[in-house]
Amino acid sequence: MRQHTPWSRYRFLTAHAFRMEWREKHGLAGLFLFALASVYACYQVAGGRASSETWNALAWVVLMFSAFNAVAKPWPEDSDAMRQYLKTTLRPSEWILARMTFYATVLSILSVLIFLSFTVFLGSVHFNASQGLAFLLGLECTAIAFAALLSVLSAIASRAGAGFGLTAVLGLPLIIPIILISTRYGTDILKGILWIDTAHHLLFLGALTGGIGALGFILFPYLWRD
Amino acid sequence: MINTLWKALGILILVYAMTMTMLVPLGPGLLEFQDVNRVIPSILEDRSVPEFQVIGFGTHWNQQPDSLQVFVQSKGQLAALEVIRVDDATHATVGLTLPYSLPAKSWNVLINHPIDGTLLLENGLFLSDRFIDAKATWPAPSFVEHTSQLGFHFPYQPRIVETIRNLMLHVPLWFTMFLLMGIGFVASIKQLSNPRDQLNDDRAVASVQVGIWFGILGLLTGSLWARFTWGAWWVDDPQLNGALVSVLVYSGYLVLRQAVDDERLRARLAAVYNLFAFVILVILLMVLPRFSESLHPGKGGNPGFNSYDLDSALRAVFYPAVIGWMLLGTWMYLVTLRMKRVNRQIELLP
Repeated sequence: MRQHTPWSRYRFLTAHAFRMEWREKHGLAGLFLFALASVYACYQVAGGRASSETWNALAWVVLMFSAFNAVAKPWPEDSDAMRQYLKTTLRPSEWILARMTFYATVLSILSVLIFLSFTVFLGSVHFNASQGLAFLLGLECTAIAFAALLSVLSAIASRAGAGFGLTAVLGLPLIIPIILISTRYGTDILKGILWIDTAHHLLFLGALTGGIGALGFILFPYLWRD
Repeated sequence: MINTLWKALGILILVYAMTMTMLVPLGPGLLEFQDVNRVIPSILEDRSVPEFQVIGFGTHWNQQPDSLQVFVQSKGQLAALEVIRVDDATHATVGLTLPYSLPAKSWNVLINHPIDGTLLLENGLFLSDRFIDAKATWPAPSFVEHTSQLGFHFPYQPRIVETIRNLMLHVPLWFTMFLLMGIGFVASIKQLSNPRDQLNDDRAVASVQVGIWFGILGLLTGSLWARFTWGAWWVDDPQLNGALVSVLVYSGYLVLRQAVDDERLRARLAAVYNLFAFVILVILLMVLPRFSESLHPGKGGNPGFNSYDLDSALRAVFYPAVIGWMLLGTWMYLVTLRMKRVNRQIELLP
């Protein structure tokens, strides 16, 4: 008989989340479609010759709303009956880590997609290849920070039984510190400031992600209790 | 007994602090060193003595006008100017008899007067490039720093002027908000570790409800100050954004409480969210502004009301104001808490 460790359960849960998502392809497809449609709407609003400030602002706004859209989908495991069952088989901390990993991966892929479609539609005149990579790195770090925060908030909202509206109400103010750091980083990159001179923003983002993640990891078990 | 005493004491202290805030006069200062006829470029041509007007704020130059001394000072060099006439209490005309070339562009203006003491206007005199000769020197005049003969007064600060009184409102209000949110933070931790006890949940919600009001008052007083010193009711600044967002975050806490019906669950979810909110509050107001450029005093390398700004008069009012507002906040929190407890008892009645 196979031995189950927290690590193996975590891996299984993460893989399970992806498997479930893959089975219902419309979820992921809808997410990517939302992001693409947002970028295209931005293109229609700002035009192909958007200034670097507009470019920067729209990229972060699209990422933010796509992230909220990603966590909006209710999970079958969030139902009371499923929770009661899962409590007997695994620990809540493994569960939240798996979900954070899942969201971080999905949002990372999403941010690459957003970046690419932004360069296609709104142009890449504001940066060269290395600046573009630096900007993409910022998007990735932000996506992971969003994943850490929003997976906890969506868990709170679904536990409150209030659905997606509450996630947005609770999440928008809490997400602003992340957005503040990210936009500053993006502005610096597009202004042509050397990456090394603005890389401390990424460190802040990393620290913030670590702090939020740790807090979620510690507090999530309390959400599961009855 | 002690329960009544500290409340009475708090109100007394607050009344003292607010009375002083509004009644203590502002000390004298220098507003401007004006090149009346815009003569500076022509000093070299006709060698006449260009006249300048010194404008003071709350000064007493019409009393003992003969004792008025005016100096300019830069990089260790000091030069005395001739006082031509004293127009009134706040206006005087001086003649600029400086040597052919000067070692610096930018000069501080210093004024000695027996009543006002020594007043300083930083970079009051600004000369163009062609007067500069780094080696120029002249015999130093005798300069003795005067101390003010005026009574208890708040220090004059350029650009802040009378609004320095806002220091006794704006800063203590934010301190009180922090204190209350801190109480809420501790209560939420206790709530999570001991979920059966409803008291901690009541504590958390009472402290947040009162704290939000202090936050809003802090925002309003800050907005007034921003209008006066920076020229706009709201400016895009990390400290201001952080302040607004933290009030929004705590409003989210109250929304979350409304969304849950089950009491136990509500207490638990609210406690988890409150811990997040407090951490974000600390990050937004104490950490982020220090690492980014900010107009706000004390942040982003911008000097605040630190040791050299807070003089003894300000301290004598500011510290009591902080204690007074904090005691009032605590009292408001306790009253709100008792209301919640009483309502809970009433609901339990058959």
